[in-house]
Amino acid sequence: MTEPILVVENVSKRFAGRIALESVSIDVARGSMTGVIGPNGSGKSTLFNIIAGTLRPDVGRVVVGGRDITRASPAEICGYGVARTFQISRLFAEMTVLENLVAVARGRDDRAAIELAMELLKFLEITAIVNKWTSELSYGQRKLVEIARALMLQPKILLLDEPFAGINPRLQNRIVEHLHALCARGITVFFIDHEMRIVLTECDLVYVLAEGRLISRGDTQTVRNDAKVLEAYF
Amino acid sequence: MKQLGPLGVFAIALVAAALVPLIGSDYAVSFSIQLLIFLVLAYSWNLIGGYTGYTHFGQVAFFGIGAYVGSLLIFHWNVPWYLATLAAALAGAITALPLGGAMLRLKGPFFAIGMFGLARVLEAFALGFDGITQGGTGIYLKPLNDLKPLYYVVAAIAAVMMLLTWRLDNSRLGLKLLAIREDENAAESLGIPTTRLKIGAFVASAVAPAAMGCLYSVYLGFIDPPTAFASNIELTTIAMVLLGGMGTVLGPLLGAIVLSVVNEVLWANYPQIYLASVGVIVLLAVLFTPRGLVNIGMKGGWLALGRPLFRRPAQPASQSS
Amino acid sequence: MPLTELLIGGILLGGVYALMACGLNLIFGVMRVINFAHGDILAVAALSTVSIVVGFKLPFWLAVVLVPIGCALLGVLIHLLILRRIESAPMIMSLLATYALSTILVNVAILIWGGGYSGLPGVLSGSVRLLGANVSVSRLVSFACAIGVSMAVWWLLQFTRFGRAVRSASQAPELASISGIAVDRIRLATFALGSGMAGLAGVLVAPAFAIDPQLGSRFIIKAFAVIIVGGMGSYPGAILAALLLGVVEVIGSYFAGAVIGSAFLFLLMLGVLLVRPRGLLGAGVRI
Repeated sequence: MTEPILVVENVSKRFAGRIALESVSIDVARGSMTGVIGPNGSGKSTLFNIIAGTLRPDVGRVVVGGRDITRASPAEICGYGVARTFQISRLFAEMTVLENLVAVARGRDDRAAIELAMELLKFLEITAIVNKWTSELSYGQRKLVEIARALMLQPKILLLDEPFAGINPRLQNRIVEHLHALCARGITVFFIDHEMRIVLTECDLVYVLAEGRLISRGDTQTVRNDAKVLEAYF
Repeated sequence: MKQLGPLGVFAIALVAAALVPLIGSDYAVSFSIQLLIFLVLAYSWNLIGGYTGYTHFGQVAFFGIGAYVGSLLIFHWNVPWYLATLAAALAGAITALPLGGAMLRLKGPFFAIGMFGLARVLEAFALGFDGITQGGTGIYLKPLNDLKPLYYVVAAIAAVMMLLTWRLDNSRLGLKLLAIREDENAAESLGIPTTRLKIGAFVASAVAPAAMGCLYSVYLGFIDPPTAFASNIELTTIAMVLLGGMGTVLGPLLGAIVLSVVNEVLWANYPQIYLASVGVIVLLAVLFTPRGLVNIGMKGGWLALGRPLFRRPAQPASQSS
Repeated sequence: MPLTELLIGGILLGGVYALMACGLNLIFGVMRVINFAHGDILAVAALSTVSIVVGFKLPFWLAVVLVPIGCALLGVLIHLLILRRIESAPMIMSLLATYALSTILVNVAILIWGGGYSGLPGVLSGSVRLLGANVSVSRLVSFACAIGVSMAVWWLLQFTRFGRAVRSASQAPELASISGIAVDRIRLATFALGSGMAGLAGVLVAPAFAIDPQLGSRFIIKAFAVIIVGGMGSYPGAILAALLLGVVEVIGSYFAGAVIGSAFLFLLMLGVLLVRPRGLLGAGVRI
């Protein structure tokens, strides 16, 4: 088996004495689709933010492509091929969709950036909104643009923060298709979400968190039938 | 209705500016110099306050630094005024770099107040260290016989600032600054080098005002702390950009013209009424047109939409705003 | 160096700063508005006091009662006309608005009262001996009143129902309004109270200092320095920092002259902003 591209080693985090994460270890294979689920308060967001670099763990390491990024800033982590979306979409206001995408493009060529942006909009089937202001977008459109913007960084790993929350099942399925297409191209997709239906059918590997601890790990069949998971959720 | 793009407007403005010394009276030249100086200040503040979103009340700090550096060079060592201006601009850049590095760590209102405090500190120093700065007495410079060369230098700098802003507006750098303004944390999470860009914009916003400080001293033939660090200058600059349109190409020009006229009509005879009126203008702008008059022009359709590079011409149906 | 005299002078000065800073803090805490015009309300109050006492020949204590009420009403006006409309705008907008308001107040004040200095000779004049130093009565009285009122307002915030409502409106406005607290009216009352406090500070300043319309601009930056050093939103922090900064300013002025002495205050503020933005006691500001 090849080296996992993302490894979280034994990470713990407390907030003012309260345990958010306790000795959590995760590994994510290159080109796979991996999901982390868990009830409210399970520590999913904390884990996500530690990987994305906006939080530092008290104990443990995060390794991406063999490089220790535990202490790296979010901007540095982008440089190592990791891009993220936000749970509550943080598109840049007062700018159009195209401008939002081009603003984060790296490299010097304006024209190439615009081309990449158009390509990604086509990939996500939203070219029609290219000139719209972000304030004019629907919730679902905002989610798609968030994904497109993260993909502008041409990342090796795409971190998605609750990408399926609050959108209708048809759009959810479309997003899943796009994510599978990305995996097929070798991009690793990692997300946290509440939406069990999708995680338990589509992911290659699922992790389940409850109260800051990892209670289950495996492919969708294993996890679905795991007694501990059922107990935690119901 | 044919739309007028920014370059078109600039061309008209620059032609007008070039003609004034040739066909205008001395009064017209004088008025235009003041207008052009304000124009430069507005475009400079627009970079850090309008585009990058780091609004602050301390730009006059650099104006004052430039005024004193330039004046002292001329006063003590007879440096020709155009070289003194260069030195002043350099002084602005050199002081802005460390100051920016320190102050830009503050967010939003703290940055604004911090910069305000900085301007007051510098004014106090200019007053207090009178061994160096002549303190409250001020520095007297030999007045110029002919204002025209000064005029052209100011106009040239104004042209540079306008073109620079136009280039910025049409580039990814401009978009990155706007991203910082809209959501700095998100921008940083997506790899935009926010610290580097902020400091760059800050320094860029300090250079021209420093040069203007020196040129203004030469124009007046005099400088003292209340003149160099005048709150009138600060307030008027902010009012111009706010009224015209923050983070736009034509906003500062529009604001500068409107406020220079108001300034000319009221300042000499009724300074308090002038300042109170500018305050009212700022208040009304904050309450009713926070995005500036330029925005109204764009919605009305007779000003071209900004940032044309990033509008896809193949989608005419969505060319509405 | 006459240490006792300087210390006492600094502390007395700090008292007035404390009253101003507490008003500012109150407004900031509840409304997330940084009131640039706070100092100018003080100046207008001081000038009005001079008009009442010297112009209309009315007793000083009448001014002590009337002027703060007048300032509170002014605060009501400002809130209704301006601040209420920009409640949801980013903080910088209210800063710009109050900055503009400050300019308007200063210049209107110059038009009404002229730009020169005035004072209240004969009111609370004379000096007493305190701990071996000569202390002017007016400064002593203004200190006592300032600290007294600051403490009273603090007590109000901590121990009364109104105070509890104010605190919940500042910490969690949505929750507060759901639990039946009229957040709008709390905001209005808070701004009026804060303006009233600035007004009282102005009345107390009138006998002790030379006053002119620009007085406000000089005081406001010091008040900002106080709340930044003390920690924005921290009431006890503001009082402590005020006393500390009063002493710093007086000692600094003794050594380097009044002008540079006041610059020390700004430098301290800048220093705190950079090194420990939370301030001495502040709990951190969510912007």
